[in-house]
Amino acid sequence: MKVKTAVADLQRWSEDVARDPGSLSFLPLARAYRRQGRPDAAQRLCLRGLERHPENVEAHDLLALLYLDAGDRKRAADEWSMVLRLDPANFEALRGLGFCFLEDGEAGRARQHLERASLIRPDDGAVREALRLATERDGGGSSTPPAASTTLPPPPAALIEPEPWMESPAPPAPVAASEPAPAARAPHQQTPVDPARIFDHVIGGPVLGALLVDTRGLVLAGRMDVTSGDVEALSALLGGAIDEARRTVLLAHLGEWRGMLLDTGNAMLHIAPATAEAVILIAARRDAPAGWVLRNAQNAQAVAAQFLEAYA
Amino acid sequence: MSDELTAVVERVSRIDGVRGALIVEASAGVPVVAELTEGVAGDAVAALAASLYRRASTATSAATFGGLRSLQLEAEDGHVIVAGAGDLLLVVVAERAAQLGLVRLEAARAAELLA
Repeated sequence: MKVKTAVADLQRWSEDVARDPGSLSFLPLARAYRRQGRPDAAQRLCLRGLERHPENVEAHDLLALLYLDAGDRKRAADEWSMVLRLDPANFEALRGLGFCFLEDGEAGRARQHLERASLIRPDDGAVREALRLATERDGGGSSTPPAASTTLPPPPAALIEPEPWMESPAPPAPVAASEPAPAARAPHQQTPVDPARIFDHVIGGPVLGALLVDTRGLVLAGRMDVTSGDVEALSALLGGAIDEARRTVLLAHLGEWRGMLLDTGNAMLHIAPATAEAVILIAARRDAPAGWVLRNAQNAQAVAAQFLEAYA
Repeated sequence: MSDELTAVVERVSRIDGVRGALIVEASAGVPVVAELTEGVAGDAVAALAASLYRRASTATSAATFGGLRSLQLEAEDGHVIVAGAGDLLLVVVAERAAQLGLVRLEAARAAELLA
């Protein structure tokens, strides 16, 4: 019965796509083709689907997997980079890029992405192991080429999508009382994260730095390369301004406060809430495009929330 | 001068998505010229926006980032933009889908005029 259901699904998706080229059924159909070992058909479907739905994150992710299946790591990485532009906290893209960079010998970039992935899913064994390798290679500072990719952990099981008609996996066996539950693992047992580097993916180009600051004005994470101003002084002084910002937008019936962009003589500054107890401060060059600063601020917010959840 | 201020407010108010535009006396937070849609509490927004601008300006100057040219508040349902350098500020209340690029451009022009 389950096999018949799957065939019916395939037929339905095919008909949907044939009738309406803009149908989102292209996505499950492409996944099915990939499972069936028809990567060319899957790829064609994805590319056509993305023409009509260029911001579909799942389609970009699937295309990345197809490229990876074909051994084209560069194109896979390009697709996952697109995913991150659309969805900065996408676990699959962070993991995929981390593995790609590790294979290519770029341990530093691998580490950045895998650290973020591990903040989202601290219990993912493959990410944890890859992060350990990336950290070793990044911290080693050796000029010798990285070890062969055969030392990498096997691809995570989640990269191999289950057949839709398969039974759901059995729930994990209950943890024995003497063993700590995985979720309860203490922060010091996790792969160490350098708080100064958590915003490294945002910093660069016109963005000079990003800091996570608590309500006392103390810096929790991030770094700032600004010579034309005292960022810590700004953090300390802005606390009162943030309260007023919240009240102003409420009074204007504009809902909750989401952020504040300050255009100053020397820089463009953006302050936004990360949680109830912390804000993110971003500094950019005076000539930075405002939209770009706002986009990077959103990226930084996602990372900050994960960091605080994992380590606060 | 008052004709010019009125012209600024009228021009900004005509931008799609703008719910209100005011010229506000910076130190007292009192509106001088205003064009508001119903439901926008002009006096209160003027007072708070001016106070916020003064506070943010003090903070950026004290932290040696230079004088504040404009401030843009983002909220769930819209934005408040404040611009100016002297005794008068332009305060704009805009919906989320407003043409912010145009608003920022007009705010920058108004700031030069008001300085």
